[in-house]
Amino acid sequence: MLPEPARSAVSVAHRRGDSNGQPIPAITPSLAALTLADARFPGGGHVHSGGVEEAVARGLVTGVADLASFLHGRLRTAGLVAAAFAAAATVTSAPFALLDAELDARTPSTAQRDASRAQGRAALRAARAAWPSPVLDALVAATSRPHHPLLVGAVIGIDGGSPAAAAHCAAYLAVSGPASAAVRLLGLDPFAVNAAVVALRPVLDAVVAEAAEPCPPELLPAPGAPVLDLMAQAHVRQHQEQVRLFVS
Amino acid sequence: MRIGIGGPVGSGKTALVAALARTLGDRLRLAVVTNDIYTTEDADFLRRNAVLAPDRIEAVQTGCCPHTAIRDDITANLDAIELLEERFGDLDLVLVESGGDNLTAVFSRGLVDRQIFVVDVAGGDKVPRKGGPGVTTADLLVINKIDLAPLVGADLDVMTSDAHRMRGELPVITQSLVSDPAATDVTGWVLAQVSAVHAVA
Amino acid sequence: MRAGARVVVERGRDGRSAVRELRSQPPLALLPQRGVAAARSPVATVHVVGSASSPLGGDEVSLDVEVGPGAELVLTGVAATLALPGQAGGPSRTTIRLRVADGAGLQYLPEPTVVTTRADHHAELHAELGAGSRLRCREVLVAGRGGEPSGQYRGLVRVQDGSRPLLVQQQELGDPRLQRSAAHLAGRRVLAGEVLVWGDDPPTAVAGDWWSLVPLAGRGSLATAVGSDAIAAQRALADAVAAHPGWSEAVLGSQAVVR
Repeated sequence: MLPEPARSAVSVAHRRGDSNGQPIPAITPSLAALTLADARFPGGGHVHSGGVEEAVARGLVTGVADLASFLHGRLRTAGLVAAAFAAAATVTSAPFALLDAELDARTPSTAQRDASRAQGRAALRAARAAWPSPVLDALVAATSRPHHPLLVGAVIGIDGGSPAAAAHCAAYLAVSGPASAAVRLLGLDPFAVNAAVVALRPVLDAVVAEAAEPCPPELLPAPGAPVLDLMAQAHVRQHQEQVRLFVS
Repeated sequence: MRIGIGGPVGSGKTALVAALARTLGDRLRLAVVTNDIYTTEDADFLRRNAVLAPDRIEAVQTGCCPHTAIRDDITANLDAIELLEERFGDLDLVLVESGGDNLTAVFSRGLVDRQIFVVDVAGGDKVPRKGGPGVTTADLLVINKIDLAPLVGADLDVMTSDAHRMRGELPVITQSLVSDPAATDVTGWVLAQVSAVHAVA
Repeated sequence: MRAGARVVVERGRDGRSAVRELRSQPPLALLPQRGVAAARSPVATVHVVGSASSPLGGDEVSLDVEVGPGAELVLTGVAATLALPGQAGGPSRTTIRLRVADGAGLQYLPEPTVVTTRADHHAELHAELGAGSRLRCREVLVAGRGGEPSGQYRGLVRVQDGSRPLLVQQQELGDPRLQRSAAHLAGRRVLAGEVLVWGDDPPTAVAGDWWSLVPLAGRGSLATAVGSDAIAAQRALADAVAAHPGWSEAVLGSQAVVR
């Protein structure tokens, strides 16, 4: 059955335009969210640049201003998708197989799907050691290489965290990893880059507010990131031909 | 058995891996994971030299952080080892070669069972004295390229005595792959480690 | 203005696809291709003709397309669509529903949509695919006429293969901060996409500098291109589509028939 237009994803997305005025949900601190968002978390995140390496290679990101613009776009697109699916995965007996299929459909780029599943699988190893739970078994039963946002949401849910906490964590990860990769690739001033990430606060809050809204899986946000997707594929192509330092 | 091979850039890690693969490839079920920051460069070197079948070598990207990939977040390397195990079933020996390190790099015990640290005489004969976790705690220290010692003015005796002083009972091997392409002593040490594990099992 | 257009195509006993139902309502007119060549063709062709000044703010336009089991329809646009602001205020909305039954084939190839300044346009396209059906569906979005900033555009494409979603994608135009971002349009003005659920997909993704063709997780592929103008973007899109093995084979096959 087709969704009713009135409840369609477009109408959900449309609210984002006005979300600056929305109240930001209070996010209860979650140890799992802090741990997952820590750059030292041993979940394989440091080998992914989230498209920054290719953007740098193309001269699209050369300094802090370009990077801030890149991160802004990434947060509102790939970041929103990740945040919404992380939020949806926190709920008790989340329909992981359904979420997995809906997230696949929102990730047309093969390279992005591979990167998401590689990070999910990688973080699963650390998650099983730290948060053993039947929820993780259910996730793995539905999908042996889980998408990273689903793993993040499941873990934060196990820890008692809210959908907003999971959305917050996933949205932050969507920009913090790429920001760190830019520091390593371009030798940018780490204070300036850190400040640029923090300056995304209003966008981050709006993304979290939208992502944390309860919503059936088929109506979760699906914003496209055309050039990010193109670059992910080009990155893989370049990998076979010349030097690349990051997996994605 | 997983053995990590670390050491500074240019000390001869890849050449040692190639020598070990050449001498042990027929005797053991062997695979190699390489962490060179130039991604496929070392793997290509090993493949070009027909040391191992190409699908027995996996290259991992370290996101500009070779130390992190072998020590703090070993995920990418574990994934590569799992991939090799899925491909070949049981393996007797996996050699994990790190990207070029400084003297503070060590492998995580969660990644490898033993580690070899490789330094070379051309890097300066003060290196063993400087210490650092690689030199002092590796299960085996290899002082490489000893044939070059006279050419670079390195005092091999000083290096070995410093190394032993820093390492206590832990072994030190000096070698030159020019005069001994089979890396006989290191091969012997590696085989001893592998058979010790099998004896226990 | 509220309007609904509808076309139903079925496969006849002679194996040819024929238009069984056709309803036009301004501003959308559906014109079936007629003539000797059309009568001989196994494929039905229908042109979508929109009025020059549509959709306007306040318009709600829907198009329902049904292709029956084994039937083939080509639905093409004849001119670019201009999304314009209206006096009535409020956004304009277009909702397109494509139902492609088992073994049927549909090509939906509208001309570009130009989002003029001050327009606020919402577009949805839902495609439901039956077993073994084929779909080729294009979308070219132009952010503003030459030299003007883009109006607001929010679009959703959802392609569903039975119960499995193949592609769910929203696009947004009109926010210069987003369009400038190297993650979104990197300052380019035209975004072109084509869904190809048409025989074999490429085993791995294929990419040029500003285009890619990616196999989706279920079946089907997505071709994407961006460009600074519609010609560049459509040329890049054509390169991406040409890399699709299933579609290329179909094109070669039909040329053989023509010869």
